[in-house]
Amino acid sequence: MATGIRDKVAIVGMGCTRFGERWDVGADGLMVEAFLEALADAEIERARIEAAWVGNALDDINVGNSALPAAHALRLDKVPVTRVENMCATGTEALRGAAYAVASGAVDVALAIGVEKLKDTGYGGLPLRTKGVQNDLWMPYGSAPGTFAQLAGAYAARHGIAPGDLKRAMAHVSWKSHQNGALSPKAHLRGAVDMDKILNAPLIADPLGLFDCCGVSDGAAAAIVTTPEIARALGKADPVMIKAIQLSASNGWEMQFGAWDGASVPNTRAAAARAYAEAGIRDPRTELDMTEVHDCFSITELVIMEDLGLSDEGRAPADILDGRYDRGGAIPCQLDGGLKCFGHPVGASGLRMAYEVYTQLQGRAGERQRDNVDFGLTHNLGGSPFNSVAAVAILGRLN
Amino acid sequence: MSVLAQSFGIAALGGYVPLLRLDRKAAARELAWSGLPMPRTGTRAVADWDEDALTMAVEAARLLCRESAPDALRFASTSAYFTDRAQSGMALDALAMPRTVRTSDAANSRRAATSAMLDALLGRQDEIVTAGEKRSTQPGSAAQLAFGDGAVAVRTGPDAPARLVGHASLSFDLIDRYASRDHPFSYAYEERFVRDVAVAEVLVPVVRAACDAAGIAPGQLAHAAVHEPVGGCWRALAKALSSKAPNHCEAVSEMAGDLGTAHALYGLGLALDAAKVGDFVLLVGFGSGADAMVFEVTGPVPGASAMAAELREGQVLASYSRFLSLTGSLELDWGMRAEFEQKAQATVLERVGRDMVGFVGGRDSAGNVQFPKSAFPVNPELSGVERMEDVRLADLEATIVSVTADRLNFSPDPPFDFGLVQFDNGARVLMEMVNRPADGFRVGDRVRMRLRTKAQNRRLGFRTYFWKAAPLVRPVLGDA
Repeated sequence: MATGIRDKVAIVGMGCTRFGERWDVGADGLMVEAFLEALADAEIERARIEAAWVGNALDDINVGNSALPAAHALRLDKVPVTRVENMCATGTEALRGAAYAVASGAVDVALAIGVEKLKDTGYGGLPLRTKGVQNDLWMPYGSAPGTFAQLAGAYAARHGIAPGDLKRAMAHVSWKSHQNGALSPKAHLRGAVDMDKILNAPLIADPLGLFDCCGVSDGAAAAIVTTPEIARALGKADPVMIKAIQLSASNGWEMQFGAWDGASVPNTRAAAARAYAEAGIRDPRTELDMTEVHDCFSITELVIMEDLGLSDEGRAPADILDGRYDRGGAIPCQLDGGLKCFGHPVGASGLRMAYEVYTQLQGRAGERQRDNVDFGLTHNLGGSPFNSVAAVAILGRLN
Repeated sequence: MSVLAQSFGIAALGGYVPLLRLDRKAAARELAWSGLPMPRTGTRAVADWDEDALTMAVEAARLLCRESAPDALRFASTSAYFTDRAQSGMALDALAMPRTVRTSDAANSRRAATSAMLDALLGRQDEIVTAGEKRSTQPGSAAQLAFGDGAVAVRTGPDAPARLVGHASLSFDLIDRYASRDHPFSYAYEERFVRDVAVAEVLVPVVRAACDAAGIAPGQLAHAAVHEPVGGCWRALAKALSSKAPNHCEAVSEMAGDLGTAHALYGLGLALDAAKVGDFVLLVGFGSGADAMVFEVTGPVPGASAMAAELREGQVLASYSRFLSLTGSLELDWGMRAEFEQKAQATVLERVGRDMVGFVGGRDSAGNVQFPKSAFPVNPELSGVERMEDVRLADLEATIVSVTADRLNFSPDPPFDFGLVQFDNGARVLMEMVNRPADGFRVGDRVRMRLRTKAQNRRLGFRTYFWKAAPLVRPVLGDA
C-alpha cells in the first residue's frame, strides 16, 4: 500500500526573485536569479543536480515550450529536464515532480523551478488564450476575475449573506494582504491600502473590484530537493521536509453536472483531505501554523478557508473579519502578501508559497517572522472554480 | 398573372425584432449640427453585436418547426454574412431539422422573401421561408435611421387560415436604391422620382392585376402590407386604387425600421393579426419590381399576434455612440484583448458543428442530460463508455447557478455577462448571457436560449454560432 512521501524529501535550498514588473530582465534572467539563490542556500554544487522540473503556465506567450528554455538559461548539461504545466498549480506541480523523483530513489538531487514573464505579454491582466479548437465553439471567454467572481454570487446565495457583508469580508482579505505585503522586500505591491479605497475601487467583474484581484507579475522561484540523509550530510541538521503534496483535477463534474452549488471548490477539499492524511495532520485548525493559499481573488481566499477546513461552512466571512487569518491571528494567511501583493507569475507561484513557508520554518522571515512555525500549508488553484486543478502541499521540519 | 392554388396559403408566421431600439429623434438631435435630412419619429431596432441575418432568421423560424419538418427551408436576405456558404443550411442545423429538407438561399433584392414565398405557394409546398436583415449603413444617411434589423418567417401549407386567392408579379429594374460590392451601403435616389415612378409604373399595375386575379376590387381590401420604397407610396397607391385599407408595414417602419427582405412579411403578420374572418389582405414585396398577393382570411393565423407583441417589446438604446459601435459605424480601440481571434477549423465543425449550432446534448443511460456529449458520461453514477441519445437544449428554459458581469474580458458591447446555467433535465452549461436586464443577471434567474454569434474572426471573415442565455421575458417598449 502506498505510504506517500512524508519525510522522504528534504528541501535544502530555495530561491525566489523579486516579483513585479521586471522590465529589467527576461524569463531566462529570472530563472538564473532564483536558481543562484537556491544553489547558494543549499550550498551544493550545481553538478549534483540530476534532474529538473520546470513549471511555466503560459508557454506559448512568453517563456516557450519544453525543457529547453530552462536548460538553456541554467546551462543544465544533459540533465533530464521536464517542463510541466497545470495552470496556476504549475509551480507546485514542478515541486511534486522533483520530490517524487527523489522519493522514488530515481535521483538523489533534483531541481524544481517555476517562472513566468507575464509583463512581456503586453496585457494588464492575464492574456487571452484559446480553450481548444472544439471548446472554443461554445465555451465563453471569461476573464480570470470573471470566472472567480462567480464564486461570490453563489456563495452569498448558498449562505444567505447580504452582498454588502460579503464585500466587506472580501475587502478585509485584500487589506490584510496589503498589510503583509508591505513587510515583504520581494513583493510586487508593497503599499498598505485602506479599506475605503478597497471597497470603492472600480469593478472588474461583479462584485470583484480592482483590489479584490491579485497582481499580475514577473518572477521565478526554485527549490533544490534531496533525501534527508543527503540533507544532513550537507549540514542541514533539521531540514525542511515535504510532508505532503496532493493534487486534484476536475473531471467536468462541476460545470457539466447539476449537483454543485458553485459556492465551494471540491478539488481543494479533495486535495486538502489527501494532504492532511499524507502529512498525518488530524486537526488542521490547531496543527497548521500558517497558510499560503491561492488568493487570486479575495473571494477565492475566503472560500478556500472553508475548503481547507479552517473555517466552518458559512463562517469564513466572520472569521476573516475577526482577524483569524491576519498576521497576528490564529492561522495567519499570506504572511508574505500572497498572490494579492507578492504577485502572481503563474508558474512560479506555488514555489513562491513554499519559499515563504520554508523561510518561516527556518526563522529567517525577518519582520514577517511568525513564532513557533512547525507546519505550513501551500495551496494553488488552477483554472476556474468550476473547472480546476487544486494543489495542496504541507511543509514541516524533520525533527 | 395567374389563377390560384385556392386551398394553399399561410399556415403560420413568426417574427423577431432585436431588443434594443434607438430613438430616432435623439439620434437626429446628435446630428442636428450637420443639417442632414433624416427621419425623426419612432424607433429603430438595433441588433446586438452578435446578431446577424442568420441568427435573427432562425429566431423567427423557431416556432414554425416544432411539430414537423417542412419540405423545404428558404432563407432570404440582402445582408447575409456569408456569400459562399448557404445560410439556409446553417439555419437547418440551428433548427435541428433533418438534412433531407431542401434548402435554398435568395438574395440581391428586398423582395427575395416574398418571391420565395410565392414560389412555395404556387408549388403547393409545405415550406418555411425565413428572412433576416442587418444592413450596413453610413452615419448621416437617412437609411441608417430608417432601416432596422429584424427577421420574419412564414410557413406555407394546405388548408391554411390565410389562403392565397390572387397574385401578380412585375419585374422592373427601377433603381430606387442599390448596394453593390463596391458600395455596400445603400445608395438612394431622389425620393419624388422614386415615389412617382414606383407608384405609377410598378405598384398600381401589379396590385390591380393581383386583385383582378383574386376576383375582387381593390376597394375590397381590408388590410395591406405594402413595402414602400419611400414614404408616401401607399397613400398615393391607395388613392389610385380607392382603397381605405391601412398599410401595416408603416407600423413596422415606425417601430423597428425598414427590415429589407423581412419588411413586407412582417407587415403581413400585423395585417393578419388585425384582420377578421372574410377579410382580404394585400401583400406587396418591393424591389426591382414587385410581388403582389391577395389573401383571404378564414381564421386566426398562428404566430401573427405574437409578432405584434414582439414589435412592442424593447429596451431604449439611449447612447448614440453605442448605436454607432453596434452598427459597425464606429471602430473603437478596444485594446489588446480585442486582438485575440480564434480560428475555427472545418474539421472540428464537421465533427461537432451540428451539436453546437443546434445546441444538442446527450442523454446517458441513467437519464441525465449533459452538454457537450462525451464517451464517458459526466454522471458520477456511470463508469463505462456509452453512446448518448441526442437531446436538444435550445428550446428549453434553464436557471442561472452563477453569474458575473465581466468588465475585463473583451466584448464589443460590454460588460460580458456569463455564468453557469442549469437545465431542468440535468444539463449544466457555462454560457454567455444576452439581453442584460436593467439590474443585471442574478443567481436563480430563469433564462431561455437565443442563437448568437459565438466568435468572429474578422481577419479571416468567419463566424461561429452558439446559443446564449437570455431573460424569459422582454420589457415592453416604454416600460424599459
